[in-house]
Amino acid sequence: MAVASITDTTQYLTFKLAEEVFALDIVKVREVLEFSSVTKIPRTPVFMRGVINLRGSVVPVVDLRLKFGMSQTEKNINTCVIIVEISLGSEKTILGALADSVQEVIELEPERIEPPPNIGMHMNTEFIKGMGKRDDVFIIILDIDRIFTLEELADFHKTGQQFN
Amino acid sequence: MNEGLDKGREIFTEEANELLAELEISLLELEETPTDTELIGRVFRAMHTIKGSGAMFGFEDIAHFTHEVETAFDLVRTGNMLVTKELMNLTLRARDQIRAMLDGISVDEAISNEIIASLRALMNSSATSEQVEYEPQDHRAVGSQTGQESKDVDSDITTYRIRFKPHKELFLTGSNPLLMLGELSELGNCVVIAQTAAIPLLRELDPEMCFVSWDIVLTTCHGQNAIKDVFIFVQDICDLTIETIEADSNMQEEERHLKLGEILLSRGDVTIDELNKVLGKQRRVGEILVDAGLVKEEQIQAALVEQQHIKDVRQQRAKQESMASIRVPSEKLDGLVDLVGELVTVQARLTQTSVAFADPVLSVIAEEVERITWELRDRTMGIRMLPIGSTFSKFKRLVRDLSDELGKEIVMTTDGADTELDKTVIEKLNDPLVHIIRNSIDHGIESPEVRVQAGKPRHGTVHLIAGHSGANVLIQIQDDGAGLDKEAILNKAVKNGIITPDAELLEKEIFSLIFEPGFSTAKTVTSVSGRGVGMDVVKKNIAALRGTVDIKSKKGVGTTIALKLPLTLAIIDGLLVKVGEDYYVIPLSAVHECVELTANDIEKSHGRHISYVRGAIVPYIRLREQFLINAPVPEVEQIVITEAEDQRVGLVVDYVIGEHQTVIKSLGRMYKSVEGVSGATILGDGTVALIVDVPKIVSSVKLEGSEVAL
Amino acid sequence: MSKTIMTVDDSASIRQMVSFTLKGAGYTVVEAVDGKDALAKLKTNTVHMVITDLNMPNLDGIGLIRAVRAIPSFKFIPIVMLTTESQDTKKQEGKTAGATGWIVKPFKPEQLLTVVKKVLG
Repeated sequence: MAVASITDTTQYLTFKLAEEVFALDIVKVREVLEFSSVTKIPRTPVFMRGVINLRGSVVPVVDLRLKFGMSQTEKNINTCVIIVEISLGSEKTILGALADSVQEVIELEPERIEPPPNIGMHMNTEFIKGMGKRDDVFIIILDIDRIFTLEELADFHKTGQQFN
Repeated sequence: MNEGLDKGREIFTEEANELLAELEISLLELEETPTDTELIGRVFRAMHTIKGSGAMFGFEDIAHFTHEVETAFDLVRTGNMLVTKELMNLTLRARDQIRAMLDGISVDEAISNEIIASLRALMNSSATSEQVEYEPQDHRAVGSQTGQESKDVDSDITTYRIRFKPHKELFLTGSNPLLMLGELSELGNCVVIAQTAAIPLLRELDPEMCFVSWDIVLTTCHGQNAIKDVFIFVQDICDLTIETIEADSNMQEEERHLKLGEILLSRGDVTIDELNKVLGKQRRVGEILVDAGLVKEEQIQAALVEQQHIKDVRQQRAKQESMASIRVPSEKLDGLVDLVGELVTVQARLTQTSVAFADPVLSVIAEEVERITWELRDRTMGIRMLPIGSTFSKFKRLVRDLSDELGKEIVMTTDGADTELDKTVIEKLNDPLVHIIRNSIDHGIESPEVRVQAGKPRHGTVHLIAGHSGANVLIQIQDDGAGLDKEAILNKAVKNGIITPDAELLEKEIFSLIFEPGFSTAKTVTSVSGRGVGMDVVKKNIAALRGTVDIKSKKGVGTTIALKLPLTLAIIDGLLVKVGEDYYVIPLSAVHECVELTANDIEKSHGRHISYVRGAIVPYIRLREQFLINAPVPEVEQIVITEAEDQRVGLVVDYVIGEHQTVIKSLGRMYKSVEGVSGATILGDGTVALIVDVPKIVSSVKLEGSEVAL
Repeated sequence: MSKTIMTVDDSASIRQMVSFTLKGAGYTVVEAVDGKDALAKLKTNTVHMVITDLNMPNLDGIGLIRAVRAIPSFKFIPIVMLTTESQDTKKQEGKTAGATGWIVKPFKPEQLLTVVKKVLG
């Protein structure tokens, strides 16, 4: 059973959060940077780690691990920032997603991607486009546009989310 | 001006009514004594005045109609028509008709036309009938050429040679030739040469006569008619010639200057034969001609001046052509500004590096780059500056239309329309200004009746002032209306749950309530100011421009709303400070001074957030508390004394690093609603520093009613 | 010191309009209701310019212009006449009498000021 929205063979960038392998549609990925330092913006939710300088532009960085209910990303030699372009409402915006390590670029045929199971996942399955498999490893394909909704980002100060 | 016109209309109506009453008596008397010239004159003058003044104050219909009766009585006056019973009947009917028109009663035009037709028939039957059609003059008051139309600028720049030779009697009409020459020089680049050869010897001179004539060379974009208009009153008592010496179009083809001889020739001062005769000799043409007695020294001078003038004009034109402005799409400018921003950032890095290397050669280069970068920054920002005047003039129309709609009489005046502001700021300023002005007109300025009762002039005034104040632009909107009603504001605020009934507020705080969302004091909702959405939006919009709104009002006297805005949105001077491991920039325009905050000071103030700066009490806010920064506190902290909302407030930081050229970067959509931070900037080492939004922090602390004694 | 202009007109509304316009532009204004009144007031006032209507009782505009020009101290004063006549006869008569300029009614305040500036400076 394939996923209806995936019809073509697509290239994905795979990366690791903790021990799990995730994938992003390569079209969404702008570049991958080494993670050096981030400037925290006061009074914002903890998963919004702050902003970085991307060749003169200020780009926000989010911690996917926190977003998915894992512990905060600790910086080490493999930590990366994946710069992605997401659609926020009708507009496109650039943001950086922290990853423990970036793996490789792979191709997955549509028939090898299945919808996510409804149970047994420790994260909100709304963010998941599908599950791929490669060398007996499950790959969670993320729908990056759905992870961040406009309301969540714009109104965090009202939602009483946890601050650092 | 309008006031004059309205007042004039009032007086005219009164006057015309009196005249009509008199007219009736005169006509009845005239019927008894039909040859009384005094009476005839009186009737004629009454008609004449009603016609003339009527047209003046917009009673076109009356002017038109009265013209016919006036014409008839002009004939009577000049003895070309007799006073008959028929004429009397028609005139009396005409009088009644005029009265009806004056009262604003809709008159039967058929009757008007019938009266006119009968009058005309009567005039036609009399001996000589010179009839002049009444033509509504389209306000061409002075001759045919004068008036606005002549001011229309022909884009072609032309050089004229004007010879103005007044008749001797010029002064006797009270004309002053110097004023005309002055007027000419207002038309363009003008050189005047007085020809004094005709002045007789002193003992023969009649000082009441004019013996001087003038040669003028004028380069202007106004047409010949504009030049003729200058002399319109004296055209019968002078010899005036206007010739085109050089038009813009033939500039390209001939780039040579006319030789003196040629100019004299074309001016008719000398003939070709005379010229050729003297040209045989090898001296300068001018000298030769004078010596030969063919032309006067002055004529040569005039021609030389003309030659020089044309040379100058050509040079200037060449300069203008190369200096002409170019239109550039604003995106290109924005791109340039972005690049300059990056350059400023890189330059900061270079400076930092050169300090680290302590290499004299490198630091000289770094300083040079710094100097050029700053200059480049200032120039680039300057390109984006536009005068605010165009925005102001748009509001004139708004004021006019709105006051009409509301039946108020309002004049808008402006000051400082040439104040320059960043174009983005100007664009974003439009809506807030519209809102404020609408509010002034709708809620502020009273109806004429109320104003008169209050002893104020009938018409209200909305005064817009723009001006620089340090690194800011101050825009004030003043009205001389009723002022804000403190009680009404308080009641409303309590009713809307904005404040509690027992709240004790300062006047300033009460006024600032009108900026709260959902607030409106107007008793009735009008189409003009809307439904109380507005002033809160104004405040929001101005804050988005990093500006502040201030309001002052006195009941019965008026309200002033002052907007303080930064000159530019792209790059500001900032003060770089450090709290814990993070860097922050405080806009320098908000900073007064920096002082130390020692542990001793803290102890002295018994835990209250108050410092003493040269005797004055200044409350402070700890940035680390506001920004929830967990880091060890240094022994001595620094207080940056800032001014926000007309109040001095200290911001406590760990270290003050120094001034910093701050290229403002947006935090993007994700951080759109962050409070206390207005943007970010990139430091020399590539790290990102946040720009502190001082007014926001101060007001949020106030709102929290925290322990800070603000 | 602001210059003084005399407006001579038997129509109160015109006087009002002229006077208001001139005062607004910073001039001092003396009003006279006809030629006779004007001559009387010229004796006691310092006047730098006269704006006169032509058709007036007692002494009309043409007569006034002649009379003013006959007074030595006003021989060269600018005199502007207000005419409704579009035909030239009246205007010509006024010019011959010594008028400096003229304004055709109806006129706008700005036009009045233009002419005043033109002849008075």
